[in-house]
Amino acid sequence: MTGIRLRRNLTTLSFLAPALIGIAVFFLYPLISAIYFSFTKFDLLSVPQWVGLDNYKRMTDDPFLLQSVRNTLWMVVVFVPVRIIGAIGLSLLLTNLKRGAGFFRTIFYLPALVPPVAATIAFVYLLKPSTGPVNVFLGHLGIEGPLWFNSPVWAKPALVLLGLWAIGDLMVIFLAAVLGVPESLYEAASLDGANAWQKFRSVTLPTIRPVILFAAVTGVIYTLQYFDQAAVAGSIASGQASTGGGISSAFGFPEGSTFTYPLWLYTVGFRYNALGYANALAVVLFVVALAVTVIMLRRAKAFSGEEQ
Amino acid sequence: MNTRIPHALFALGTAALLAAACTPAPKQTKIADPGTQVSGTVEIWHFFTEREAAAIDTVVKDFESGHPNIKVTIKAGQDDSKMTQAIGAGNGPDIGLSYSTDIVGKFCSSGAWVDLTPYVKRDSVDLNQLNATTRQYTEFGGKRCAMPFLADAYGIFYNKDMFAKAGIAGPPKTLDELTEDAKKLTVKNPDGSLKTVGFLPLFDFYENAAAHLAPAVGAKWLTPDGKSAIGSDPAWKTLLAWQKNLVDWYGYDNLQKFRAGLGDEFSADNAFQKGQVAINVDAEYRLAFVKDQAPNLKYGVAPLPTASASTYGGGYVTGNIMGISKNAKNPEAAWELIKYLTTNDAAITKLAGLLKNVPTTAKSLADPSVAADPDFKVFVDIFASPNSSTTPPSSSGPAYQETFGTFVTNWQAGKVKDLDVGLVEADKQVNSVMTLGG
Amino acid sequence: MTAVLEEAPPVPRKDTQNRARRQNRLAWVAQHSIAIVLVIMFVTPVVYLVLLSLMTSNQALTSDYWPNTWHPENYLRVFQVTPLPRYLLNTVIYAGLATVFTLASSIPAAYALAKLKFRGSNVLFLTVICVMMLPPQVVTVPLYLMWARYGLTGSLWPLIIPTLFGDAFCIFLLRQFLLTIPSEYLDAARVDGCGEWRTLLRVVLPMARPGIAAAGLFQFFFSWNDYYGPLLYTSENENAWTLSLGLASFHSVHHVDWNLVTAATVLAMAPLIVIFFFAQRAFVQGITLTGFKG
Repeated sequence: MTGIRLRRNLTTLSFLAPALIGIAVFFLYPLISAIYFSFTKFDLLSVPQWVGLDNYKRMTDDPFLLQSVRNTLWMVVVFVPVRIIGAIGLSLLLTNLKRGAGFFRTIFYLPALVPPVAATIAFVYLLKPSTGPVNVFLGHLGIEGPLWFNSPVWAKPALVLLGLWAIGDLMVIFLAAVLGVPESLYEAASLDGANAWQKFRSVTLPTIRPVILFAAVTGVIYTLQYFDQAAVAGSIASGQASTGGGISSAFGFPEGSTFTYPLWLYTVGFRYNALGYANALAVVLFVVALAVTVIMLRRAKAFSGEEQ
Repeated sequence: MNTRIPHALFALGTAALLAAACTPAPKQTKIADPGTQVSGTVEIWHFFTEREAAAIDTVVKDFESGHPNIKVTIKAGQDDSKMTQAIGAGNGPDIGLSYSTDIVGKFCSSGAWVDLTPYVKRDSVDLNQLNATTRQYTEFGGKRCAMPFLADAYGIFYNKDMFAKAGIAGPPKTLDELTEDAKKLTVKNPDGSLKTVGFLPLFDFYENAAAHLAPAVGAKWLTPDGKSAIGSDPAWKTLLAWQKNLVDWYGYDNLQKFRAGLGDEFSADNAFQKGQVAINVDAEYRLAFVKDQAPNLKYGVAPLPTASASTYGGGYVTGNIMGISKNAKNPEAAWELIKYLTTNDAAITKLAGLLKNVPTTAKSLADPSVAADPDFKVFVDIFASPNSSTTPPSSSGPAYQETFGTFVTNWQAGKVKDLDVGLVEADKQVNSVMTLGG
Repeated sequence: MTAVLEEAPPVPRKDTQNRARRQNRLAWVAQHSIAIVLVIMFVTPVVYLVLLSLMTSNQALTSDYWPNTWHPENYLRVFQVTPLPRYLLNTVIYAGLATVFTLASSIPAAYALAKLKFRGSNVLFLTVICVMMLPPQVVTVPLYLMWARYGLTGSLWPLIIPTLFGDAFCIFLLRQFLLTIPSEYLDAARVDGCGEWRTLLRVVLPMARPGIAAAGLFQFFFSWNDYYGPLLYTSENENAWTLSLGLASFHSVHHVDWNLVTAATVLAMAPLIVIFFFAQRAFVQGITLTGFKG
């Protein structure tokens, strides 16, 4: 290797070194561990027993799995796009509000600062069917509010509302992206006679595409792991005591509509102590997330910064 | 260079994995000879907090004053999951106190909690002093790895004012009477929706778990060889048919709508305490809540109504359990503390009074302070009744109950067309889920 | 308005201006109305939490939203029941160190992925994203066993040390932001003789300030509110508890003091609100300084 090539490689390595170590220890190690355990029967208290493909075979005959997959898929398909559109909309609104922008920005970000569990509990109480403020307010308008977290049909949309309310994180990211679009591009578009909507479509949108892609990919990955809010909402809405761990034994109340894949994984792994099966579920989730991500990245030609 | 990195990472990963995956082999605890002086420190983990934790602190102090050579460290707020992780990682407290019987199966079979039989034999502890049901849920697979720490007994609470108004003399003793009373006590709004409900038959409402209602029909969960008995025991069919009958009389949607507007089980808005539900299944701890949150409520308590009058008098029984973990640093001192908390009648009586739970030994049950409150006495009687039952331990913990729970949720929503077929399906599912625990 | 004159006037510039002004005013009204409605919707649940914190414990369990009696002393009670200052200190240490370490380790990696060409760049990028795909419940088990072996459980170190080695979310985010910086700036710097590190520190960082601020804020707030991490690693050692764990002290088996929980939650959120209010001003200013639209 010539001197320049070597120096360049070393430089690159110096940028990447901490992240590489992080990936090895905090990702590859747990991943290999997960793959290994997925072929075993393991309860954390005794030595793991090798069982080959048993855990994976069980997945083909697991009715809880089917229901959890359906719920999680619904969330991915609805939750992710709605949040992205909402976040872009909010950040556009914020860039147009000149006076008091700081105030509005803080207010819209505020919900994202509320710890997820407290936020979910607040929402469940606010959306309580007959006595909660929202339905009481709707009643004044002559609308009979739905049963929200107590209705198998409305429970997931209620969770989407919760996600929209806590949209601060995503909004800040899009705000930074939208604010970062060079003024010169807008001026050029004005000279061409573009109106606001056209400017958005031809200037803003293309420039922030890398960030939209980021939001989509991370959105899908995190929604595939959506757990806390669903578990807490189902638990509180059922009105039952939470046995110890804060999650009641009512699976995805009501009628299993908030029963997500990670909730089943958690139940299997930590309440039934079947870590082998839980790891198999995790490996499958990983593979699905990987496949979806690769497809999205390929389509957006996101590699090597081509999409710029 | 680009290929060397992945190789190194892989090697590092596998080495670390193998190093960490091997759980330490269980230590062979040697048990001391009888009469040996016991000293040292003991660490106990439990899940209680605040008032209840304070109660345990008090009784532990009594123990320390009687055993000046033993010092006890208490860590509150630790649940089953934390205990499992700690023991699995080779740490863990000397004693764990769990708020339910779910972990007995797993902890006994894996040795996470040690077999206490040698200690029991050595110190000649008379296990017959303990209520039979509590003995059942503290052993598994021939090993006694836990001791019962106070218990809960479930019966029914009923609203005396509403009963008087409807002209009903006393609490229902059979399921048929329960249905009758429920219908009589129900009041509808002018628009047809439910205003007051005699008995809310939905399975996921408050304490209406299948486990809590099973004693009404004497239904068995498991066969002697540990498999699901749901499809084979006809009692389940009786229970479910009875329940659906009542659900259909109210209308499932009406019930859901009504239930959605009810308060939290442990809040002052509790539906029974607010007079929205006339008859409710609940345990003895509810007495303290009613006294505190609804002192003007005129209520009575009674055993669970049963399918036939001959099996009346019992209800569902469960409790907290304690065990010594296999990584205990001072198992002898740990055993002393467990012995004190679970077999010393004075200590148990004191704890029962502070925590308002049912004591577990024969002498403590007979203590006059326990019988002083007539309502509490009803639960004590339920606890002692031979017609009471509990949920048997299993190596997969609560899996079988929760799996059945989703079945009955579908059943009451009308999604199961044929009950016999459905129960056989449920059998299969439960058996499958139970094999998760090994 | 203008009187009709003998000559047919060409479309007066004033008319177009008026129309434009009216459209702007309509837009202004529409935008501000939407903003106000949104403010009400966003703020209501937070206000509800504050109202909960001023109720009695019994009323907090019901679905009432207006306190019957007002109990601001709940905020003092919270300090009596739990050692909040210690939890606050732990939280500040954890969040502060995690943020600094994460940025320090993630920014170079993001820069390399965005702007440096090297073999395996695509694979590495995909791997970084993959890190986020393993469900945390499964990742924690082997990691917990590992930390237990090194005797580090019962402290916050298992949560802080990994941040020295990058965070996948931040690396991904920063990479995307760095991609939006035109390469011309970097080429100019390189032509001027800057090495990569100097290019990064002198040229790129100032321009990437909004993205860095977003990533930093995100990491800080995430660590501040992190509940499951401290629960897993410090629950057996109360001295190391963070604020979020402290919130859990108000739970017992049958009973939760929601009024105290929400009071503690409000207290825990207050610093974050203040930080955000000042930070967001800073990074918007940062944008104007770099010559982009502000």
